[in-house]
Amino acid sequence: MKIRTIKYIVKEGTVNAYRNRFMTFASIGIVTLSMLAFGIFYLFAVNINHNAGILKNQLEFEVFCKPELGDVQVNQIEQSIKSSSGIISYTKVTKDMAFENAKKMLGDDKDILNGFDNNFLPVSFKIKIKDSVSSEVLVNKFKSMDGVDSVKYPQAEINFVTKGSAWIRLVMIALLLILLVVSLFIISNTIKLTLFARRREINIMKYIGATDWFIRWPFVVEGVIIGLSGVIISFVVSTYLYNMVQDKLSKGITDISNGMMGLVSMKDVGFDLFGIFILIGISVGIAGSMISIRKHLRV
Amino acid sequence: MIEFKNVVKKYPNGTLALKDINIKVEKGEFAFIIGSSGSGKSTLIKLILKEEDPTEGDVHVNGYHVSSLTRNVVPSLRRSLGCVFQDFRLLPNKTVYENVAFAMQITEALPKEIRRQVPMALALVGLSKKANVYPNQLSGGEQQRVAVARALVNNPALLVADEPTGNLDPETSWEIMKLLTEINHRGTTVLVATHEKTIVDAMKKRVIALDKGEIVRDQEKGLYGNEDKNYQIHS
Repeated sequence: MKIRTIKYIVKEGTVNAYRNRFMTFASIGIVTLSMLAFGIFYLFAVNINHNAGILKNQLEFEVFCKPELGDVQVNQIEQSIKSSSGIISYTKVTKDMAFENAKKMLGDDKDILNGFDNNFLPVSFKIKIKDSVSSEVLVNKFKSMDGVDSVKYPQAEINFVTKGSAWIRLVMIALLLILLVVSLFIISNTIKLTLFARRREINIMKYIGATDWFIRWPFVVEGVIIGLSGVIISFVVSTYLYNMVQDKLSKGITDISNGMMGLVSMKDVGFDLFGIFILIGISVGIAGSMISIRKHLRV
Repeated sequence: MIEFKNVVKKYPNGTLALKDINIKVEKGEFAFIIGSSGSGKSTLIKLILKEEDPTEGDVHVNGYHVSSLTRNVVPSLRRSLGCVFQDFRLLPNKTVYENVAFAMQITEALPKEIRRQVPMALALVGLSKKANVYPNQLSGGEQQRVAVARALVNNPALLVADEPTGNLDPETSWEIMKLLTEINHRGTTVLVATHEKTIVDAMKKRVIALDKGEIVRDQEKGLYGNEDKNYQIHS
């Protein structure tokens, strides 16, 4: 194909889109909304995945000794923690500290603790491990140790989040498929209208020897114009919305999770999102125009 | 140039449009195809343009074996011949110049070539002054002349016209016929399907008469109707 032919095709497609501007704008709107819905869901899923990842790599857990243990036995446990490989550091939470923590946790209701001494509370060790070590192996090792009551480890939360993120991924794919079908339908319908308006012209072009592709390309260009405009608008809007939400929520989430979790910055996902959007925009545009060309243009 | 060999065309609805047609039109000839409506004229033209395929027999046009042509070669067949229709078939949102240039654009001709050829074609049909006018601002005769210019701009060896004067008054019809004759004098083979008696009679060109799908007469310097009772045309 020669450059002047490409120029002709692009010009023709743009002119078609403009002549048909009401439908063009309507379809750009539908594509924009579809992709916006997808984009928001995508960003949501990215954040869930990101934070699930953080939880999964949780490198801290707490080993609780049985409350009735004497100092000697507690020291024994401390020694074996100390000698375990893969541990960066540990802090011992004594009965007194635990008691203070409990008071703090209860706040105004700390009076409940009046009359108790700290004896019913266990000594515990907060352990930080190297990220190269499987936390599961260590957790099991400490669990089976004599005198250890329990190991607090956010397994349940991790399972919940992992399962949840699998579901979210599934919903995201389903949503994407539905929105793609809607976009395809609306684009092919718009192209169909152009085709219909230009049936006679197409017929004439055929008679004077235009090739099938010479006739088809402008319609493909029209479809791509719709698809691309839609995704670019929705990308801009979702970026803007996301930044706004991030501003509002970021601090709150960081506070709640002691700085462990947080929202993914747009800088990190923007590029991926843009790539996905452009890819979808172009392919939906091409596929949408192809559907109507195939059906309504027996050239 | 054009050759029909034992061509039979039967439409799916059972109509037998052409029965065993044998025609040979040589390079440089000017020939009329005449007959009343339903005689098979249009079908004949459609077979030349590969709008339809023959049920039996062979059609050769400009060295293309039309009846066995695959879809992707059809455009090059159509580019090798110029085509003029009763309803002009101009692109309404392109100017006269653009309409003619478009026939070259689809062949991916050089812009330089287009700028050279289009004014020449427009000059030939006498419409140089109307180059930037849109078809709906032209009279029927002028529109048909644009169509002729478009048909000629790629310098085809063959010009096929299907009822080119069907929508025109007698005077304009004559202009178009004169134009076609002139084009023929320049060496282009011209084939005209028509049912206009006065024109055919006055031109004294080869006449191929069709009736109910059969050739009833093929005569050099013929007239529309023949005195011979055996070749009476029913119209």
